[in-house]
Amino acid sequence: MIQICNVSMSYQKDSTALIDLTIRIPKGDFVYLTGASGAGKSTLLKLLYGAEKPTRGQILIDGQNITRLRSSRIPHLRRRIGIVFQDFKLLNSRTLFENVAFPLEVQGRKRFEISTKVYQALKHVGLHGKLHRFPLQLSGGEQQRAAIARALVGDPMILLADEPTGNLDDEVTQEIMELFKGANARGTTVILATHNRDLIRQFPRRVLLLDKGRLKEDYTP
Amino acid sequence: MLDRVRCLMRRVWRNLKQSPVLCTAAIGTVAVALTIIAFFGIVVLNVQQVTRQWSQDIQVIAYLEQSPSASQIQAWTAKIKAMPEVEKVVFVSRDEAFRRFQKRLGPDAELLEGFGPEILPAAMEITLKPPYRNQAGVGELVGRLRQDANFSDLTYEQEWLTRFDAFIGLLKLGGVIFGGFLLFAALFIVANTIKLTLYARRDEIEIMGLVGGSSMYIKTPFLLEGALQGLVGGLLAVAGAFGLFQWLLKEGLAGFLLISGIGHILFLSLPQQLLLVAAGTALGLLGSAASLRKFVRI
Ligand SMILES: Nc1ncnc2c1ncn2[C@@H]1O[C@H](COP(=O)(O)OP(=O)(O)OP(=O)(O)O)[C@@H](O)[C@H]1O
Ligand SMILES: [Mg+2]
Repeated sequence: MIQICNVSMSYQKDSTALIDLTIRIPKGDFVYLTGASGAGKSTLLKLLYGAEKPTRGQILIDGQNITRLRSSRIPHLRRRIGIVFQDFKLLNSRTLFENVAFPLEVQGRKRFEISTKVYQALKHVGLHGKLHRFPLQLSGGEQQRAAIARALVGDPMILLADEPTGNLDDEVTQEIMELFKGANARGTTVILATHNRDLIRQFPRRVLLLDKGRLKEDYTP
Repeated sequence: MLDRVRCLMRRVWRNLKQSPVLCTAAIGTVAVALTIIAFFGIVVLNVQQVTRQWSQDIQVIAYLEQSPSASQIQAWTAKIKAMPEVEKVVFVSRDEAFRRFQKRLGPDAELLEGFGPEILPAAMEITLKPPYRNQAGVGELVGRLRQDANFSDLTYEQEWLTRFDAFIGLLKLGGVIFGGFLLFAALFIVANTIKLTLYARRDEIEIMGLVGGSSMYIKTPFLLEGALQGLVGGLLAVAGAFGLFQWLLKEGLAGFLLISGIGHILFLSLPQQLLLVAAGTALGLLGSAASLRKFVRI
């Protein structure tokens, strides 16, 4: 359960990126975060994984107030959250396997456990045949799936995805949405930021529409 | 635990392998900076040797009006010896003084023909302990001696002492300022070189943070790497300083020192060499820590 209570956020003094948001997202929900460019979608995601702090208001995840978190506790928050970044953020100097292994390595998991889990995660996204390729040797869609594999490898409670279908064709978009639905079906709360309306029409789920930092609409089509 | 250490070593090794040029640059800066410091240190060390030699000449001489009896000599020697500033007291009899004088005159000794030891006074030659071999120490001792009427005729080289004091003071001040400046400059340069290596890996650092790496987890290999680079740089600096010492300093200093009557030119002692290596390690560690603060924000 994610509770966002009267949250405002401004990067600079005179401009506000988010204004007085109040949102409840129950466990296991699938939510689209949508709105024009600059509406504050990425900013809200950043607040959720602790990269920024709100200037006002509270955010609770499973009853824990993450806006009051000491910085030393933030890593523990992030281990429960899988993030798919708009620009993937894969390391070009590491193989696909190493990239996906990263979150587990950081947590100090055993090597044997890491190998098994990484293989499973890559198999799940259909990339288990390309373990030793480097990101730049993969297509855009494959990189996107690699990023998703990395986000899901640690079995997160929450999956945050920022424009995960940015410039992919319809077919690849379908494949990727299946991955998100699959993760959601296994109990992960999914929050997907996008301005692709076709996507919402094709896979209708709850929609949070932001407009210049305000929550304009919250509906389930 | 063993697994963790092995994993850490792997990460350090990977980092070193990934950017050998920057790594070499970091080691190089530490090495060069510390070599300069060591070079300077060797010079100071040997100049100190000279001043220590010179300071042995700092004496206070008390001329005695009459030749004292053996028991008097004994009593006075004991009395002077008990003073806190005094290292050594030597009684110089008239005969002894006369012999020395003759020797000093050398071929001109015949000038003394017809004169006897009675023309020279007997004296107590007082050498000071090293910490008192300066103007203030001599002043204190002279004050103490004057309280005894037997030692009223005192000589010491006032003007020379003043200059010696000024020289030592200048040397110390120069050492502190120059050494401090060099260390600070070294830290600055090393920190910036390490910042470059971190900059080259900023993506990795960012992603480690985003997937839940703790601050410690992210920083440790970089700190270790910095320390390692500093250690290697420090070792190279010892070698470099030795090279410079053999090639440049030994001849140059020898000329200067031999005039001053010192036959042996010093290189850094083993503890000083270890200190240099430790300084390199600390430099690398501090440099990494300072740069990491800017890159790791969790
Ligand atoms: N790091 C930052 N510093 C200052 N202002 C920022 C920063 N990041 C975003 N902003 C501002 O905050 C507002 C919201 O930005 P945000 O990135 O959340 O929008 P978005 O909805 O994700 O847009 P897009 O669809 O283009 O990704 C914008 O006005 C933007 O200019
Ligand atoms: Mg955005």
